[in-house]
Amino acid sequence: MNDAVTVIAGEAVRLLAERALYWERERALIVADLHWGKAATFRAGGIPIPGGTTREDLGRLAAALRRTGAKRLILLGDLFHAREGRAAAATLATISAWRAAHATLDVLLVRGNHDVRAGDPPDALGISVVNAPHLVAPFALCHEPGVSPDGYVLAGHIHPGYVVYGAGRQSARLPCFVLGTRGAILPAFGSFTGTMVMDTRKTDRIYVVAGDEVISVHREGIRGA
Amino acid sequence: MTDDTPQRSGYSLGRPVAPGTPFVDLIPPREAGEPPTGSSSLAKDLRRARALRKRQVKAATHGSRRTAAAPLDRAPEARRALRQYAKLDPESAVRAWFAAHEWQPVAFQEEVWNAYAAGESGLIHAATGTGKTYAAWMGPVLEWLREYPGSPRRTGAPPLRVLWITPLRALAADTEAALRAPVTDLGLPWTVESRTGDTSPAIRARQRTRLPTALVTTPESLSLLLTRSDAASLFDDLQCVIVDEWHELMASKRGVQTELDLARLRHFCPKLRTWGLSATLGNIEIARDTLLGVAADGRPARGRLVRGLVPKAIEVDSLFPATIERFPWSGQIGLTLLPQVIAAIEEGRSSLVFTNTRATAEIWFQALVQCGVAWADRIGLHHGSLDRAERERVEDGLRSGELRCVVCTSSLDLGVDFTPVDRVLQVGSPKAVGRLVQRAGRSGHRPGAVSRVTCVPTNALELVDVAGARDALLAGAIEARPPVERPLDLLAQHAITVALGGGFRADELYDEVRTTHAYRDLDADEWAWVLDFITRGGEALRAYPEYSKVVEQDGVYRVTSRMIAMRHRMSIGTIVSESSLTVRYVRGKALGTVEENFIARLRPGDRFTFAGKPLEFVRVRDMTAWVRKAPSAEGAVPKWSGIRMALSPELALAVRVKLDEARRGIFASPEMEKVRPVLELQAAWSCLPAPDELLIERTETREGHHLFVYPIEGRLVHEGMAALFAYRIAQLGPITFTLAANDYGFELLSTERAPLDEALEHGLLSSEFLFNDIPASLNAAEMARRQFREVARVAGLIFQGFPGAAKSVKQLQASSGLIYEVFARYDPGNLLLRQAEREVLERQLEQSRLGRTLARLAAGRVSVVEVERPTPLAFPLIVDRAREELSSEKLADRVRRMAEPLERAAGPAIPRFANLRSARPRERS
Repeated sequence: MNDAVTVIAGEAVRLLAERALYWERERALIVADLHWGKAATFRAGGIPIPGGTTREDLGRLAAALRRTGAKRLILLGDLFHAREGRAAAATLATISAWRAAHATLDVLLVRGNHDVRAGDPPDALGISVVNAPHLVAPFALCHEPGVSPDGYVLAGHIHPGYVVYGAGRQSARLPCFVLGTRGAILPAFGSFTGTMVMDTRKTDRIYVVAGDEVISVHREGIRGA
Repeated sequence: MTDDTPQRSGYSLGRPVAPGTPFVDLIPPREAGEPPTGSSSLAKDLRRARALRKRQVKAATHGSRRTAAAPLDRAPEARRALRQYAKLDPESAVRAWFAAHEWQPVAFQEEVWNAYAAGESGLIHAATGTGKTYAAWMGPVLEWLREYPGSPRRTGAPPLRVLWITPLRALAADTEAALRAPVTDLGLPWTVESRTGDTSPAIRARQRTRLPTALVTTPESLSLLLTRSDAASLFDDLQCVIVDEWHELMASKRGVQTELDLARLRHFCPKLRTWGLSATLGNIEIARDTLLGVAADGRPARGRLVRGLVPKAIEVDSLFPATIERFPWSGQIGLTLLPQVIAAIEEGRSSLVFTNTRATAEIWFQALVQCGVAWADRIGLHHGSLDRAERERVEDGLRSGELRCVVCTSSLDLGVDFTPVDRVLQVGSPKAVGRLVQRAGRSGHRPGAVSRVTCVPTNALELVDVAGARDALLAGAIEARPPVERPLDLLAQHAITVALGGGFRADELYDEVRTTHAYRDLDADEWAWVLDFITRGGEALRAYPEYSKVVEQDGVYRVTSRMIAMRHRMSIGTIVSESSLTVRYVRGKALGTVEENFIARLRPGDRFTFAGKPLEFVRVRDMTAWVRKAPSAEGAVPKWSGIRMALSPELALAVRVKLDEARRGIFASPEMEKVRPVLELQAAWSCLPAPDELLIERTETREGHHLFVYPIEGRLVHEGMAALFAYRIAQLGPITFTLAANDYGFELLSTERAPLDEALEHGLLSSEFLFNDIPASLNAAEMARRQFREVARVAGLIFQGFPGAAKSVKQLQASSGLIYEVFARYDPGNLLLRQAEREVLERQLEQSRLGRTLARLAAGRVSVVEVERPTPLAFPLIVDRAREELSSEKLADRVRRMAEPLERAAGPAIPRFANLRSARPRERS
């Protein structure tokens, strides 16, 4: 794993290839848009998506926690995709097992738009739930990106993607971190989530997640669509 | 009575019935003072009735879009005619009806009527406008007259007897009118209606309780009928299904959908007769077998193949620039010939200008509108991305003769005949013989007229294509259309359709679908997989309790969820459009659709040209690109992706023959004479290949080492072959190539000299290991990922939603790319992935044609020629590659720079490189 280390709002952070952000001082791992149970939701709706995505996402989350030794886990919204997926017994069992293996971890969920409809996670999972914005100076923890007078906004929701062009008309669309002057947008953590190519500002710093590497994208020579 | 039948105008001399011709148009105009043509009082009465009705219809439908047949019995003359028909036996009545239109049944029509009466099925193939419609339609009409002799009953209309399937919704209204004409005149108590995506809710509601006696519909709407829980009882009285334009349907998944629907209908009505109407194809027997399905003994069901009238003579000619020096060596737009095209349009009353792409159509439309001719306000534009209302307006303008000229794409290949059209132009290579025939057939509908098509070559080599196409046409070398084999996505969709339409038992439906040509070899494992897919969401071993789409109860598979049922009905069909945005005026109407990619590159205030109109981009919102009028045309023309058409095998062969003739000094047509200097230069600098010879040129320029290979087998094969050659040569040692391909050959460009001789020794042309080498050489995974979009849509993995959809639907939306990745990772054995890969290899790379081409090349000889500089055959390849690499402004400069040394080397007597500025597409600078 090849992480990128940088500073936002005066805080040292590590951008992990697991599509997570690690806040060194607070020893907090921050992720957005997990969309647990999304495949199960599709299946319940009659669309046969194979299972295994949530399980793999939990494995990746465990790996990031282990690697960083994080004490806190902050989820920036859209934990469960929908009520149907939340009710799927197999999915819930997988999640409970993961939680049992990380019993001492302090987990905080900032509600996102999907959480409002899907409902808060079951109490047994031991996840504290707050509304956005949740202030932990210097950051304002949110789901939807925006500008806050109270701090530097950390958000998800967009599932940002960036198109990298190579030689011979090759191109690849990769999930990315978008670090702006007043807020940052994290890539979606869930593996059954798409990306949206977004308009970025000149002042934004873009880090794409390419396999097990996080790479800073310099504007010269690479076009964003 | 038959003796009284007017004999003056035999069928072949008179005006033939064109399928879909509006009925009132069928009456031939009679000059004032001309004696009546028939002595029969019946014929006279009917003619008078018709004249009267024509006036009535005109008055009644003034201002409406289409001319529909009005009820005949308002006119007293017609009532009399009707009484007279009723006195006749069925055959004489139909003959008299024909006679009243100054036609006479021809042998092939009578053959079909007799075969129909004997309970047979079959396929009728003939050119458009030769009477296929009534050949098929009068069988059921005659049968009714025989079953119910005597005066017409006044009781209600009988239930559904005949289904008429048409590929185009736009054709339905005209077909309906043509079918209704004899029904009304002969006094049948039938109702004739259509049911398509355009049918009004009121008519749909009425049809929900009672279907008409004859229903004109599309494959999709028929599938929808099959989802009704009372599907079986709807078809109790069904006698016959007639499939129009079968050649258009058969080579697509819509054709397979039709096959499955037909199998279902035959299951309901075992005596059902099926008749197809088709243009002539290279594989017409297969077309018949595909339509009629497989009999119980596993052999193709018996059916008759009826050949209609021999098509009218077709004349092919070309436009040339005043001096050949003006001819570009490459290019795809051809505006150099604008003055000649204008002159050609002015020769005719009404012209169609066909182009090969929508972008070219937009550019030509602009050019014609701006060229300052008097009829600039009577030019239309017609292509598949324009709004339907706009297309219909243009079609009406063609029908009425109001439009002087319409620039169009294949969107006007099909459909009703536009009688006023007397001039057809084809911009660019026709690419296939069948397409040229089809387009030529759009002209010359008046008695005695020949169909004529004038080709507008956009570069010098396309003259060879035209000359080859003419030869192939004379030799009757029409392309085959291979039917689609066993698409499992569609089978899954159909199984859900049947589960909704009353349910099915697994073994019964298995037997039923195996009566279709497409699934004749479906094995039990594949069927079991499809059943698992729709009932368990995957293979039986990894069942998901939350999944339920189709539920099995006591051996019967049904859909129980109303939500699933509704979503399935919303997404039936196989047509997948590119993700596109509607273009709409900020205040006003929609213009059509453009692809998302194009809009994504625009910024507010940017100008572009679309639907022939100068537009300024305002913003994107709600999947709509909002625009306003711009003062003048400038900026980009949108491009639409899609597989670029490649030379057909038949035309490619004809081109190879023409080049061989040129090699032997034979230049036997105006086109070949014109292109002679270019070909002679090719022969002087390199050589012209013989039919059994593969020419490979190698040269070095500032760009690097080039290999130019000319199999002359069409672009798609060349693309696959270029990647295959690059892969196989790279096996000998590390080397990187840049590839380019066109219809004549391909280029491999590398920084170091490629070990060509060694590669040839090691089996560069070998067909062995092809199945491994092709996927290895291409980014097959990426291509399959893109192809998966269609598979996912048909199999119901993507639900596109609908207006007003609830949030609960939105959370079920995911892109096909994402679904592909999840499948590839968590269910790699999924047969739908295999299908996407297979579709890529066959459709996009024409793998089997590539294999045949390699075999052909390997059997011949290879000539490797070292050339000093790129030859006339090579130059278009270099330009095409440059076009893809560079922005347009730089391209023009660069091409000029490339051309100069070549021109100097060729000396003063040779063609100059053309005005490339006008010969290239207008791109965004």
